[in-house]
Amino acid sequence: MFRRSPDFWSGLALVLLGVYIVTATSGWDYLSPEGPGPAFFPRWYGIAMIVLAAALMVGSAKGATVEWRGTGRALGAWAAIAAGLLLMKLVGFALGFAVLTYFIVAVMYRRPPLQSALMAGGMVATFYLIFTLALGVPLP
Amino acid sequence: MRIVVMALAVAMAGAAPAHAFKPTRTVEVVVHTGPGGGSDLLARAVATIIEKEKLLPVRMQVVNKTGGGGAVAAAYLAEKAGEQHTIGFFTGVWLTSPLTSAEAKVTLRDLTPVARLVLEPALIAVKADAPYKTLGDFIAAAKQQPGQLKQSGGSVTSRDNVVRQLLQKATGARWAFISFPGGGERIAALLGGHVNMMVLEPAEAGEHIRAGNMRVLAQVSDQRLAGFREVPTLKEAGFDVPAVPQVRGVVAPPGIPAENVAYWEDLFGRLARSASWRKFLADNQFEDGYQDAAELAKFYDEFTARMRAILQEAGIKTVR
Amino acid sequence: MDIASGLLQGFAVALQPTNVLWCFVGVFLGTIVGIMPGLGPPATIAMLLPLTALMNPAGAMIMLAGIYYGAKYGGSTTSILLNVPGESASVVTCLDGYQLARKGRAGAALGIAAIASFIAGTVGVLGLMLVAPPLARLALAFSSPEYFGLMALGLAMVVLLAGRSLVKALLAMLVGLWIAGIGTDPFSTTSRFTFGRMELLSGIDFVVVAIGVFALGEVLANMEARDEPKALPVPKGLRNLLPTAQDLRDCRFAFVNGSVIGFLIGVLPGAGSTIASFISYGVEKAFSRRRDQFGTGVIEGVAAPEGANNSETGGALVPLLTLGIPGSGTTAILLAALVLWGFKPGPLFIAENPQLFWGLVASMYIGNVILLILNLPLVPLFAQVLRAPAYALYPAIIGLSIVGVYTVSGSLFDLALLAAFGLLGYVMRKLDYPSAPLILGLVLGGAMERALRQSLMMSEGSLSILVSRPLAAAMLSFALLILLIPLVARLNAWRLRVMEEEK
Repeated sequence: MFRRSPDFWSGLALVLLGVYIVTATSGWDYLSPEGPGPAFFPRWYGIAMIVLAAALMVGSAKGATVEWRGTGRALGAWAAIAAGLLLMKLVGFALGFAVLTYFIVAVMYRRPPLQSALMAGGMVATFYLIFTLALGVPLP
Repeated sequence: MRIVVMALAVAMAGAAPAHAFKPTRTVEVVVHTGPGGGSDLLARAVATIIEKEKLLPVRMQVVNKTGGGGAVAAAYLAEKAGEQHTIGFFTGVWLTSPLTSAEAKVTLRDLTPVARLVLEPALIAVKADAPYKTLGDFIAAAKQQPGQLKQSGGSVTSRDNVVRQLLQKATGARWAFISFPGGGERIAALLGGHVNMMVLEPAEAGEHIRAGNMRVLAQVSDQRLAGFREVPTLKEAGFDVPAVPQVRGVVAPPGIPAENVAYWEDLFGRLARSASWRKFLADNQFEDGYQDAAELAKFYDEFTARMRAILQEAGIKTVR
Repeated sequence: MDIASGLLQGFAVALQPTNVLWCFVGVFLGTIVGIMPGLGPPATIAMLLPLTALMNPAGAMIMLAGIYYGAKYGGSTTSILLNVPGESASVVTCLDGYQLARKGRAGAALGIAAIASFIAGTVGVLGLMLVAPPLARLALAFSSPEYFGLMALGLAMVVLLAGRSLVKALLAMLVGLWIAGIGTDPFSTTSRFTFGRMELLSGIDFVVVAIGVFALGEVLANMEARDEPKALPVPKGLRNLLPTAQDLRDCRFAFVNGSVIGFLIGVLPGAGSTIASFISYGVEKAFSRRRDQFGTGVIEGVAAPEGANNSETGGALVPLLTLGIPGSGTTAILLAALVLWGFKPGPLFIAENPQLFWGLVASMYIGNVILLILNLPLVPLFAQVLRAPAYALYPAIIGLSIVGVYTVSGSLFDLALLAAFGLLGYVMRKLDYPSAPLILGLVLGGAMERALRQSLMMSEGSLSILVSRPLAAAMLSFALLILLIPLVARLNAWRLRVMEEEK
C-alpha cells in the first residue's frame, strides 16, 4: 500500500478535510432571510476541496517521489521547537529558548557543548536586550 | 514629643479607612482590542488622565488580550483570580458575547465589577440628499418597502442592530442590516449611497455633518447631546424605544479582598469627578455613565436580560 | 488653495529643523518596526500616542506617518534574507526575494526593494497631492459588489502563482479560505470551526500563519541537511550587492505597476497592502516575458509588490484626509491621533488645515528620500547577516518568529498555532504544495465572503448586482482575463507546435 505516492495520501487527507467541512456546515443556515448564511461559503469550498483532492488522488498514479532522507532530522527539530514552546509556557522565554537553542546547536549541528551553551546564552541575552529593554515588548 | 506623633501615626495607620490596600507595583490594565482599538485607546486615555490628576501612586500598563469579542480578555482576568494589581476595561461586547458564543465562558458576574464609566450615545443618520427629513419619514418609507431599505452597521449583536431590532418591533417596519467590520467601511457605504441609513457615534459623524454630507434624524440617548441640540431623541421623535447605550467600564479579577475592590472603586469614583475626565467626556461626546460597583452589578443583570430577549426576538441563537 | 502654493507652504513647514528631525525619527523607527516580524505600525503608533501629545501636531503627524511608510521599507529586509515576513504585506516579497537571496543576489533584491519603494512611495504622495479629493469620491462608489470583483481578481492570481501543479495550488488556496473562515461569523454570530476553543473565536491571525508556514517551514526544511556550514550564499562582488543596470531595466514595468496598483488599492477603504502586493505581483507575472520563472528569483517579483505596499500608504491616506474615513488599522490610529490633538478629520479637514496637510505631503517626499539614503547603503550591511553560520541563524529565526507572534497576540495558544503551521509549512514544502496560494486564500477569503454576503444582502438575493455595476463588472472581467492569459499562451504554443509538425 505504501507504494502509493505521497500525493495520494495528501489528497486523501484533503478529501477528509473537505468532508469534515461540508458536514460541519450542515448544522448551519445555508440561506437565511437576510442573505446567505454561515454555511454558504464553506459548503462550496468544501465541495471544491473534495473534488480537487479526489482529482489529485486519481492523478497521483504518476506522482513524483519525495526525498524522505532528511525528514527525520526536520521532524526532530520540529519536536524540539514544540517542546521548547511548552517549556516556555512553564518557565518563561529565557529558559525555554536557551534550552531550544542549545538543542539545535548541539544536537542538530553537532557543535561542542561549550560553544552550544555560549550560543544559547548569547541568543537569550540578545533577545532580552533588544526586545524587553530597548523596545519594551513583553516576552512569553 | 516625636514619639507621641509617631505613635499616633502608627495608630492611625492601624485604624486606617477601608482601603488599607495601596498598589505597590505597576497596575496591569487588560483590554480586549489590539493596540489602537477602541478599548485600548480609552485605557490609555484613562491612564494619562489618572497620571495627570495624580490619582495613582504607580504606573498603569495596558495589556492587550485580543480575541473572541472580549472572551479572551475576560478569561484572562478570571484566571488571575486574587491578583490585586490587575483590572480590565470592558465594553458592551463582553456582556453579549457570552450570550451568543458557547466558547465565551466568562461573564461579568464571574468577575468583580468595579465601576461603569461611559455611556456612548449614537446618532441615526442618512445621506444628506436622502428624502428623509425625520426618523418618521424613514420608518414610513421602510413600511412601504419592507426589507428593501438598508442599514450598515457592525455585527448582528452590536448596538447598531439592537437599535434596529427595537425600532422594528415598535413600529412594525422592516429593513435590512448589512454588517461591515470597520467603521470606515460603514460610513463609506452610507456616503456612497449603497445603504440608506446607519447608526453611528457622534465623534464619527461630526465632521461629515459639518461638511454637509450627512443628516441626523434622531439621537439614541436619553437627553440631547451638547453638539446636537436640534436633533430629537428617540423618545422625543415619538418612538417608545429605550436608548440603548454602548457601555464601557472597569472590572477586576474574582476573589480579591474587599479593600482592593474599595480602592479601585474609590479611584474610579475620583476619576469620574475630575475635571480632566469631564473634559475628556465632552471632547469625545461620551455621556457620563458613572456607576459604582453595586449599581454596575445591577445594570449588568438588567442589560443581559434585555439583550437576551432582543437577540431571541431577532432570531439569533442564544446559548445562555 | 492650489497645488503649487500649497506645496510651497508645505515645504516651508516640513523643512523646519525640528520637523525634519521628527521625520527622521519616524522613518528610522518605522524601518526597525518593519524589520521586526509581528511588530507593526499600528502597535508602535499606539504606544507613542501619549508622547505625541507633548509635540506640536505637525511634527507628530510627520513622525507617525514616517513610521507608517518607513515600516514598509523595513518589512522587505527579513522577507528577503530570512523568508520571515516582517509585515503582512511583505509576504509576497518572500516569494521571489528569498529565492534571490538563495541565489546569492540578496543585495540586489534588497536594493531593488528600496528603490521600488522609493519610486512608489513618491508616486503615492504625488497621487495624494494631485488627485485626492476626486479619487475619494470615486472610492465611495466602490462597495461590496466591487470588492467582490477585486477579491475575485486577487484569487485569480492563484492561477498565476500555481507553478507546477494547478490542482495543488487550488487546494492550498481552499485550505487558506477555510482557515480564514475560522471564527465567529459576524453576520449571524455562529461560531465556525472553533472546535470549542475560545481562542479561535476571532479566527487565526494572519501573522501566525504567515510566519509559521514561511519562516518555520523554511527553517525545518533546511534542518534536513546535516552539515550545512552557511545558511545562504553571501553575495560576492558589487554586482550582487546592489542591483545592476540590467535589473533596473527589467523592473521598469514593475515600478509603474507597483506604484499605480498600490495607490489605487490603498484608496479603497478596507482593502489592504497585502491585497495590493498580491495583485501587483500577479499583474507583473501576467504581463512578464519571463512569467514561468516567477517564484524562482525574478527581480521584478520583488519590485512590484514592494512598490505596491509603499504606494498603498499614500493611497490609504486619501480617504483618511479627504473624508475622515480610516481604511486600515494604521490609518484608524492616525485618525485617533488627529482627534487627540484636537483636529477633526473629515471632508473639511484639508481646507481648514492646509499647513498640516501640505506639511505632511512635503514631509513624505522628504521621508522617502531619507529612507532611500538610509536603506541603500545598509543593504550590503544587511546582506552580511547571511554570513552567520546556520546553527546561529536558525535559532535566531525561530526566536524572532516566536517573539514576533507573541507581540501581536500575547497568547501562548497562538504560539502553539505557530508550531502547528510551521509543521504544515514543512509538509507542504515536502509534498510540493505551493504556499503562496494558501496565504492568498487566507487573506482574501474572509474579505471575499463578506463582500459576497453584503452584496447579496444589498440586492436582496439577486446575483446580478455583482455584474450589473460597471466597476464590479470591470473587476470580474479583468479577473477572467488574468485566468485566460496563460490559457491563451498555452493555446498559442500548442498551435505553433501543431504547425511545426505539419511542416
